[in-house]
Amino acid sequence: MSVEAREARQPWILLSPALTALVLLLFVPLLFIVVYSFWLRSAAGADQAGFYLDNWREALGDAFYRDILLGTLRIAAITTLVCALMGYPAAYFIARSKGNKVLLLLLLMLPFWISYIIRTMSWINILGTSGALNSVLLSLGIVSEPLRMLYNETTVILGLVHFLLPFMVLNVYVSLDGIDTNLEDAANSLGATRWQAFTQVTLPLSLPGLAAGGLLCFVLGAGTYITPLVLGGPRDAMFANLVYEAIITQLNWPLGSALSLMLLAVLGVLVAIYNRYLGMAQLAKGLG
Amino acid sequence: MTKRIDDTTRYQRLLDRYREGDLDRRSFLGLIGAAGMAYGMQTPFAKYASAQSVGQVRFDGWGGVVSEAFREHAFAPFTSKTGTEVVDGTFSGGDEYLAQVRASQPGEYNIAHLSGVFDYARYANFDLTTALNLDNIPNMELVMTRLVEPYRAITPDALSAVPYDYGTTGLAYNRKYISDEEMREKGASILIDEAYKDRIGGWSDWRTRVWYGALQTGQDPNNIEDMDAVWDAIRAHRDLALKYWGSGAELMSLLAEEEIYVTEGWSGRIAALQEQGHDIGYYDPPNGFGWQECLFVIKGSPVAACEELLNFMLAPETSIAVAEGQNYPPALDATKVDLGAKIPTLPAFDATGTLSGLTFADPAYWNGNEADWSKTFSRVQRGY
Amino acid sequence: MRGWGWHAITLWTLLVYGFMFLPVGVVVLLSFNASQFGSFPMTGLSGRWFVELWNNDAIMRAFRTSLILGLLTAVISTTLGVLASLALVRYRVPGRNLISTLLIAPILVPEVVLAVALLLFLNFLGLPKSFPLLLAGHVIFTLPFVVLVVQARLVSIKRDVEEAALSLGASPVQTFFEVTLPLMMPAVAAGALFAFTISFDDITGTLFWKPGGVETVPTQIFSMLRNSISPEINALGTVMIVFTVGLPLLGAAVARRLAQRGGG
Repeated sequence: MSVEAREARQPWILLSPALTALVLLLFVPLLFIVVYSFWLRSAAGADQAGFYLDNWREALGDAFYRDILLGTLRIAAITTLVCALMGYPAAYFIARSKGNKVLLLLLLMLPFWISYIIRTMSWINILGTSGALNSVLLSLGIVSEPLRMLYNETTVILGLVHFLLPFMVLNVYVSLDGIDTNLEDAANSLGATRWQAFTQVTLPLSLPGLAAGGLLCFVLGAGTYITPLVLGGPRDAMFANLVYEAIITQLNWPLGSALSLMLLAVLGVLVAIYNRYLGMAQLAKGLG
Repeated sequence: MTKRIDDTTRYQRLLDRYREGDLDRRSFLGLIGAAGMAYGMQTPFAKYASAQSVGQVRFDGWGGVVSEAFREHAFAPFTSKTGTEVVDGTFSGGDEYLAQVRASQPGEYNIAHLSGVFDYARYANFDLTTALNLDNIPNMELVMTRLVEPYRAITPDALSAVPYDYGTTGLAYNRKYISDEEMREKGASILIDEAYKDRIGGWSDWRTRVWYGALQTGQDPNNIEDMDAVWDAIRAHRDLALKYWGSGAELMSLLAEEEIYVTEGWSGRIAALQEQGHDIGYYDPPNGFGWQECLFVIKGSPVAACEELLNFMLAPETSIAVAEGQNYPPALDATKVDLGAKIPTLPAFDATGTLSGLTFADPAYWNGNEADWSKTFSRVQRGY
Repeated sequence: MRGWGWHAITLWTLLVYGFMFLPVGVVVLLSFNASQFGSFPMTGLSGRWFVELWNNDAIMRAFRTSLILGLLTAVISTTLGVLASLALVRYRVPGRNLISTLLIAPILVPEVVLAVALLLFLNFLGLPKSFPLLLAGHVIFTLPFVVLVVQARLVSIKRDVEEAALSLGASPVQTFFEVTLPLMMPAVAAGALFAFTISFDDITGTLFWKPGGVETVPTQIFSMLRNSISPEINALGTVMIVFTVGLPLLGAAVARRLAQRGGG
């Protein structure tokens, strides 16, 4: 066999386990969802099989779904931005610190050892009227009456940032850690200020990690449904809540299928854009 | 008939021995412990065949105190008597469980602790019922007949479930801020009282929202004439409420930590708060929301084994232990069974065996409107 | 020398860690709380939740299941993810962008939909739920985390190093294990850590896929939500934190002690 042929075959061997798993466990099952999205929910009993466009008409045509989808993307974007602003310096610190990096990273993942629901609900003990923060503020005499902080969009974003920040930090860290510190020193010795050395050398080189972290934060933020349930007020909902309600509460699998495919399509387009402009291929080219 | 007597007497003997301490408690518990350990060790790798296979019945219910009580008082004696293992699963809600059952194979799920009449009717709609032979469940004679009637209305030929417990969704209020008199005077309308803006809570469940909307607009919840007024009341509540809660745990912490002063609440959860010394009042307004729960046998299950297990679960010992754990009174008729000291003090408890004080939802009416109302509520909740 | 910029970064990092630890701190505090609810200031201290946790078979069993599930998920998912990332970054693969997008797809679908879809497929095949299915489900939605982080690292590893090894006569496999793998170890570790924590913490998929009799810690907690979550769960969190932080710290301290003694 020629070297070229082997060279062409190798990546597929490497990819085959992951792709097989994806096809069997994701794409084939998703076909069922695609089929379901064209069925009709009947008032009681089994759903009506067939080819109906009603669910799609409703999912695409109704301002209700569109507004909540846009709101969801907005919340995900804010969350991602906050994660990047909070996470990048922290990742930089870990990557450049002389301390025990593994321990620092492990500490960051620590909140995950406490179950998500407990973690999210514990914000009530922190921010509530009889929570820890108010208790401290009251005893210090900074406020005379407990502050109302809970159950609005801000607390939803807060909960999401807390959930997603470690993903941002770890992704950025991994990227920063691979950058030769000599490059920055070299830039310095050539007369660049530290800030210039950072923005012109380190930051561009760490973009793959920042982009990967940002993508993760955005996509996971947009797909969340438990956080708004626990930390939001009555009105606060994200798109995944509607999907969950359609499928679980209303038992309307056909509509739920159409809605989830809609979310999948929107996020899929975003990921495709990411891969096209920020993705590995692009960045590899830029670095090469 | 002989079988029944045989079963009952053997069961009776076992219980007698257990009560009198004749059944060696230590070896009994040791046996359970050993079984538990062996079970725990092999669990992660065990490939459970569908529960249809011989010697196994699957039960799904609430975790924590409830499943502990079932395990100790019903599953262990059942298994030691029949040799049939009870595979014990948990769920976090009836809706999510129905979705799982719909996406499963017949026989995979057997018995479930479901919301009484609503779920019963929904399962009947999806053709998931079985026919139980009540002759094999002698303890059914102890159950209040009023609780069985709604099921008979849905499946006249045979029951597919036995009633298990009941409770109410009434008004819970912090007595530091709201007096008993004020509560009685305002009734359900206190939930749309401007004076308590941002101190009001409510369950995120559409049925409860609609039910209380009907009460707030002075209508009969089982025959609502002005639905628009109900939606307006729900909107008013939505704007005054700080939070829709979604679980008993949330309800309790919102009240205990004084995030909210008034909300609807599940009777058992409020009783638990009172037990812990919180000064929370509980009031069932006229036409307050009564409900019941059942043990439902799902289509495709090994019926004989399920009937026998149901009998163990309905036995007074089990019923009382579960009821004391979750604070909802058992379905047993208090005039036929001595329910002990604690249960008669629980809210919603009925000593007469008639349950005449409670209003239950008419399943035909409510399930008929389910598709429309649940969807509309999803929009109303978000401000549409 | 590091200037004020470094100090600002240090302070910022401290604040970030403080933010991350707020809920952890509260949970640890409340695990010693005498009463069930977490009003501050606390009314009393007690160790009873730890005693009850130790005696609670159901939670301990769920904990063991969660650990095993998480570890297996981490191993399988990391292996698949590293192989796929290598292929995408190191080779010219036609349709690379598409494949990259597909590999991220599992986290684009709302989990409840993925959960129902997989069950429908299983039903169609006539297979019962099983632990391997649960594991497979976890592998699928942890895969994107591994792929993203490993790719990001691989891109920054210069091919020169690998080519040097190859030109010095190392086989491709040798080159991978002796050059590439050590260089990308931080990403592999991060990916494995992601996979483990995501699996350990997952609720929606697990609720749908778990076979009878199998409970993980999150499903155990969810089933308690209706009545009340016992503070034993807080105690479990505290125990885990003590193990994951305490042991490495202790190890480091012992190592330092030994080094000092050796040096002295």
